[in-house]
Amino acid sequence: MALRDFLKGATEIGKAMGVTLKSLTEKPVTTEYPRDAVPLYPRFRGKHELRRYENGMERCIGCMLCEAACPTGAIYVEAEENDPLHPLSPGERHAKVYEVNLLRCIFCGDCEEACPTEAIVLGHDFAMANYNRRDFILTKQELLNPGEPNVVIRPE
Amino acid sequence: MTDLVTLTIDDRQVSVPKGTLVVDAAAKLGIEIPVFCSHPKLDPVACCRMCLVEISGPRGMMLQTACSVPVAQDMVVKTDTQQVKEVQEANLAFILLNHPLDCPICDKGGECPLQDQTMQFGPGLSQLVEPKRMKNKNYLISDTIVLDQERCVVCWRCIRYLEEWEDKPQLALFERGGKTIIDIQDGQPVDAKTSGNIIDMCPVGALTNRVARFSYRPWEIERTPSICTQCSMGCNLRMDTRTHKLRRVIGRENMDVNDQWICDKGRFANAWVNDEGRLTMPLVRKNGELTPAPWGEALALVAEKLQAIKQQHGADAIGGIGSAKLANESNYLLQRFMRQLIGTNNVDHRDGGDVAALPTGLPALADVMKPQYGPDPKHDVIMLVGIDPSEELPVLDLHLKRAVRRGKAKLVIVHPRQIELTRYDGPFLQANPGTETTLVNGLLRAVTDAKEETKSEAHKLTSGASDRQVDHLCGVKSAELRKAADVLAGAQNPLIIYGPMVARGQFGAALRQALTNMALYLGKPENLAYVGLEANSQGVRDMGVLPDRLPGQAALDDTMASELLGKLWSCSLPVHPGKSYKQMLDGAGDTVKALYVMGANPASERPAWADKLDKLDFLVVQELFLTETAAQADVVLPAVSWAEQDGTFTNLERRVQRAPKALGNPQSKAAPDWMILDHLASFFDAQWGHANAQAVTAEITKAAPNYAEMLWDALGDQGLQWSTVDNSYLLPEATYARAEQPDVPATEGSLALIGGTVLYDGGNLFALTTRMKDMSFGAMVHLNPADGETLGVDDGAEVTVRSDHGALKLAVKLDATVKPGAAWIPESLPGAPVGALLNGSAVTTVTIEK
Repeated sequence: MALRDFLKGATEIGKAMGVTLKSLTEKPVTTEYPRDAVPLYPRFRGKHELRRYENGMERCIGCMLCEAACPTGAIYVEAEENDPLHPLSPGERHAKVYEVNLLRCIFCGDCEEACPTEAIVLGHDFAMANYNRRDFILTKQELLNPGEPNVVIRPE
Repeated sequence: MTDLVTLTIDDRQVSVPKGTLVVDAAAKLGIEIPVFCSHPKLDPVACCRMCLVEISGPRGMMLQTACSVPVAQDMVVKTDTQQVKEVQEANLAFILLNHPLDCPICDKGGECPLQDQTMQFGPGLSQLVEPKRMKNKNYLISDTIVLDQERCVVCWRCIRYLEEWEDKPQLALFERGGKTIIDIQDGQPVDAKTSGNIIDMCPVGALTNRVARFSYRPWEIERTPSICTQCSMGCNLRMDTRTHKLRRVIGRENMDVNDQWICDKGRFANAWVNDEGRLTMPLVRKNGELTPAPWGEALALVAEKLQAIKQQHGADAIGGIGSAKLANESNYLLQRFMRQLIGTNNVDHRDGGDVAALPTGLPALADVMKPQYGPDPKHDVIMLVGIDPSEELPVLDLHLKRAVRRGKAKLVIVHPRQIELTRYDGPFLQANPGTETTLVNGLLRAVTDAKEETKSEAHKLTSGASDRQVDHLCGVKSAELRKAADVLAGAQNPLIIYGPMVARGQFGAALRQALTNMALYLGKPENLAYVGLEANSQGVRDMGVLPDRLPGQAALDDTMASELLGKLWSCSLPVHPGKSYKQMLDGAGDTVKALYVMGANPASERPAWADKLDKLDFLVVQELFLTETAAQADVVLPAVSWAEQDGTFTNLERRVQRAPKALGNPQSKAAPDWMILDHLASFFDAQWGHANAQAVTAEITKAAPNYAEMLWDALGDQGLQWSTVDNSYLLPEATYARAEQPDVPATEGSLALIGGTVLYDGGNLFALTTRMKDMSFGAMVHLNPADGETLGVDDGAEVTVRSDHGALKLAVKLDATVKPGAAWIPESLPGAPVGALLNGSAVTTVTIEK
């Protein structure tokens, strides 16, 4: 009786150790963040970015539809007329001020949906911690120049 | 009253007055028929075809345009049949064919009838596969209006407005078919003074506001119903604000005041409200420099100094200058402060005690209006003396044009310039400046000549004003005088309006009497009106900001009024009349030791009179900006504008209207005018205890009998007119008296100065709207070409204009509308305040030196 139990136990331990041994040779499933980058789904919604056209023009035309669509009032836009000689965007209108309040934003992506020119997109940057409340307000300059341009362009 | 017609719309019966259009009858039932070209204030044209509905006719039910077909008895209308739906969809698809889909950058987006109707009635799909037609975008038709020809749906509303209301057909259609465009004519920009109204009327985003361009979105703004304070019309408007900034101003309907129209100055020239240069902190002079100080310190200093001066020199050494630009509440408290806490009647405003005014203003604006589908104006003859509505009161100008063209009213114009309204075929008497009294006497003489029984009596009254004498002195030919007399003699209900330009000093007093005689003779003494030009010219008088009048315009010796006020303010009132605006400025440093100036800028408006401000012991200025006067002050108290405080204003027809607070700068320490005075009173150990502006409004109802009904809530969005019937004590005692023509100063080679105001004066506040910079009048003196030749000056020549009060350097403009022998320099021009020349009477002579 005791011997049978002993053998059974030893077999189980052997099996378990087999799993361990097998895993020892496998790659780890965790990511060494922040040393390594986290794999993200293509449609992950992170920090906002304002995109440009290939010729360098801003896509944003300051139409304020994102502001209207935003459920938390996190976006503030102030539009202005383009200087016809040095336009910032195609057409007559561009955004003079574009601010996103990251403390209010819930990353729902409605601004992306509302944007008629696909100017505002939610990028893949999710490291948004800061030391200062004021720094949570993204300015237009920051939005236009994200640290790592990493945007999946939706098919038109 | 009118005949009613009963018809059936969508199986529901409705009775409407005869002549109503089907579209309006349907609206009465709450049935919406989509329209683009139809507008309730314009004649129908039926060109957009959007309103096609089935209407019964001799050949059965047929598609007809609801906007142009008047109702008929037993008419049957169907608005919801399959056929109507199909034709609406087809029409919208057609209208949208070449309409660009740039709604995201279009200022109309969000309040666009085309957007709304496309959602409600449109097909939802476009069959267009070809590229859309390209036309001009961002095309300026004036400095303030942008046209986008691609967006235009050719509804004619702008063209019709300019034709039917402005009588200035400056826009027209060009080309044909799908290429049709709206454009200006011969490259001449639209310059109608109320052109901005076409922006409000445009059913798409073809015409947009260039000043407010891209600064607002309809879904983000807060809308405050308010009034305009740029002139005394008191047009109703709506202020659209966002993030503590005034974004846009649009017209608001009030059928007793402005119909739905506002002028371009009221609409566009508002940048000063948002200006960065506004005062935000009290300033106190320390070591010769104005330095920011907390409110408590500034007010304590004001109180201390004023009390010391009162002790040393007596109460009459202190004066208060109010402003016809500010609300009733502020002006009421200023005179209460001067009378109760200082104890003097030295309180006045510019064009106050020095002007021969009348207490009641216009009988009613509605009586000169001819609204679309409204009755004819009640006045059949309107006489304008020394007032130019086109420049001074543009919306009144609009009403008058309409009254002449559609209401069969006639104009009689007495003005030293050939003003714009003279283009209508009415008598125009271009009298030499200062001779208006003789002219009106001569006119009365000519009118009475028709009636034998009154002839001799009237001739006694008007001796010295025969046709020959009028010709000699006024420069008006007998034929024109007789023509005017015929018009006046035939008048059923004449209206006579005179303005501040001819009402100053002894000339003004004489003219007022001459006009009173005329009005009495015509049987309508109540129809003689003095019209001030500033937003609250009427209200500031009603509030008693006059050296000889208490609130309610009661005389100082009116025991009932002074008892009432004494009880209300728990004090005894000063009994001697105070000093007028001019007397206070003239006496500065001598009989006047301290001045409290609220919202006025005498150093710029009347520099010749205000040259002794630096001799004052103490000068307090309550202002929006650091003006020329404020720069000389010992204490500057920062106030907020009409858009940032509650207040009531009384317009030229005695209508008291609300101007509620629409915005406020959270970073500014500036305070409402009434609050500054209320707090200042507490430093005099008086507790007025007004919690808000409405409390002051309520106190006014007790202090001024004619304002008894004017509680804040009772005024509503359309205001209330105080009645001359219930307040008949305010009607002037109209009696015949001889109106003696004062001597017109005439020296060889001199010209008579014509003042008056122009709309785009380019003054301190106007200049802040940079888009309108090029529209401003410019620092010029206008001379008749004949005088130019005599003097040997050409267009653009630099000259010195000199009066015995001062001199100005100006450029010459030769202008045939100016009477020979006169020089025209409007008030408030930038850098050239004509006030430097004025001597306080209606006539100032100047010489021109090369």
